[in-house]
Amino acid sequence: MKKIRVEGVSKSFDGEVILDNLSLEIPAGQFFALLGPSGCGKTTLLRLIAGLDTVDSGKIYLGDEDITNQPIYKRRINTVFQQYALFPHLTVFENVAYSLRIKKMSDPIVKSKVTDALKMVRLTGFEAKLPRSLSGGQQQRVALARAIINEPDVLLLDEPLAALDLKLKEEMLIELIDLKDKLKTTFVYVTHDQFEALTVSDQMAIMNMNGNLEQIGTPKQIYEFPVSRFVANFVGNTNFIEGTLHVIDDQQQVEVEGLGYFQVYFPSEKYWIIPGRRLIMSIRPEKIFISKKEKEGFSNHMTGKVVNIIYYGRTTQYHVKLRNGQLLTVFEQNEEHFPQENIDYDDNVHLYFQKENVVLLEH
Amino acid sequence: MKFLSRIFAEEFPFVLSCPALLWEIFFLYMPLCMLFIYSIVDYSPTLQAYQLTTIYYEQIFNTLYFRVIINSFVLAATTSFICFLIAYPVAYFLAMKVRKRYRPFLLFSLILPSWTSLIIQIYAWFFLLEKNGIVSQILYSLGIISKSFHLLNNYFSILIGMVSCFLPFMILPIYTVLEKMDKRYLEASADLGASRFETFKRVVFPISLPGVYTGLLLVFIPAFGEFAIPTLLGGSKNIFWGNVIVDKFLMSRDWRSGSALASFGIIFPVVVLVSIYVILRIMAYIKNPKVKARAGGTSYKDPWI
Repeated sequence: MKKIRVEGVSKSFDGEVILDNLSLEIPAGQFFALLGPSGCGKTTLLRLIAGLDTVDSGKIYLGDEDITNQPIYKRRINTVFQQYALFPHLTVFENVAYSLRIKKMSDPIVKSKVTDALKMVRLTGFEAKLPRSLSGGQQQRVALARAIINEPDVLLLDEPLAALDLKLKEEMLIELIDLKDKLKTTFVYVTHDQFEALTVSDQMAIMNMNGNLEQIGTPKQIYEFPVSRFVANFVGNTNFIEGTLHVIDDQQQVEVEGLGYFQVYFPSEKYWIIPGRRLIMSIRPEKIFISKKEKEGFSNHMTGKVVNIIYYGRTTQYHVKLRNGQLLTVFEQNEEHFPQENIDYDDNVHLYFQKENVVLLEH
Repeated sequence: MKFLSRIFAEEFPFVLSCPALLWEIFFLYMPLCMLFIYSIVDYSPTLQAYQLTTIYYEQIFNTLYFRVIINSFVLAATTSFICFLIAYPVAYFLAMKVRKRYRPFLLFSLILPSWTSLIIQIYAWFFLLEKNGIVSQILYSLGIISKSFHLLNNYFSILIGMVSCFLPFMILPIYTVLEKMDKRYLEASADLGASRFETFKRVVFPISLPGVYTGLLLVFIPAFGEFAIPTLLGGSKNIFWGNVIVDKFLMSRDWRSGSALASFGIIFPVVVLVSIYVILRIMAYIKNPKVKARAGGTSYKDPWI
């Protein structure tokens, strides 16, 4: 269990800059998710840490040791590859035993270690099978067992669940968390799927299309308090409303053209929050209350017309057209078999939200 | 009518392959059968009838023919082995090191010589190896040899001719397997602590074995019956199976002996290869009885079985 420190790392391929002067510290023993859109450079960063590619400039440390120029086969870091890359000519047993065979360990030790590893990923009894006769989820487990058998300081996972269906994915995510608790290894998990990242990680980093880190924090911090428009939009759904900040009677308010004034609240001062400044309010769809009747006790109120309804089972999503023509997304929890009010297409509705639930973002 | 249209719809690939199949049956398998029948039937003037006989096979099993068989077998085996030694690095280089866009060109230039007639290829070697040929001249002018001499009419010149003619048939199957191989296996292997050599030994080579087997077959079988190359480049000292058959058919006009020799020339390598395969299977089974026995425990796809 060791921390990873990346210092000012740059990497280009064929003249195209993928990572530019990136620095990041991944604390020891954490389940760290690296989340970003496809093609943003997160896999490149992972490959640099693994040693599959070399950096153009910058340093990579494992613990306090500089591993920038250490060849891949000497690093105590193992990887679970995107499509697993299981050796097709070897049985499950020999796939898992691969790194032990390289180290020329004796047969009894190999056998006991492989048995333990397979037990850990719940694949006991599959020793003699070949990878191609296994299902996607089972192959995934073999890849995991193969990577953890060496007790690496850091385990890298490159979109490990991308090929699995949703149910299996949810199952594997929980198993991964259990596994991490048993192993006391630092996990670095690369994904473009925000659901996976939110589920597994202790901390996550959000990378944008230019290969820069936008925000690092716990899943809750990232979701509830995104620091940028990119993060707010990439992790979860949100509504952006543009307006101008005013301070009236000691109260912060945002004026939106055609909609009026909205009360907002920000506990910490940000340098760009100045009265008169244009900014963006980000409001999560589930934090807006929708009703056909007027309600009390909310700091902000809007009206609009329902233009679209999508029933998701657990929730219902409404698209509401506001007075100024903007579309707002609202989630309603489907708590009852027979809801108290039936909201239908073209209904005029009231929308309410609390000022504490508004996140202010730089324009 | 309904039956026919159903056959057409469901078995369309088979229907498409019928012309080729019929061609093979009429112009390859039937002549081969006739050849075999020729070798076991004899016309007896006393009985005024045809009768079965093994006399032509008995002829084969004398020491002279036996030496010729061994000769051919050794030549075919040596050719296959040298082809393998040369072809593997070439195929590896092409599939793993050369950039994708240069590969078709390089492959093309490797295969190009086999587009010309075999006889022309052999005569090309003539120019190189004869007494005042290019190789001899170069060696002479470099002072390595004191007087120019013939490099033809010996075992070495036969081998050169054989290897150069059969090399593409070894390179192509190995190249195909290596090219198709997922390159992430190499990364996974390195990630798990293997050096490049270990990766080659434990991953690349075992995965490429089916290609190697295919190549060995593609070279060994035609090399066993080859007669043009030994005749033209080897002079009269070295006699091989193919030469004997040609002699029987074309010189002595003894078609029945020739047929027996030819039939044996087909049966013998098949028996050898099948027994090698069976031995490998048994060995694999002894090594790891749990895995369904497979040749050498390695080939995960046997394209030729």
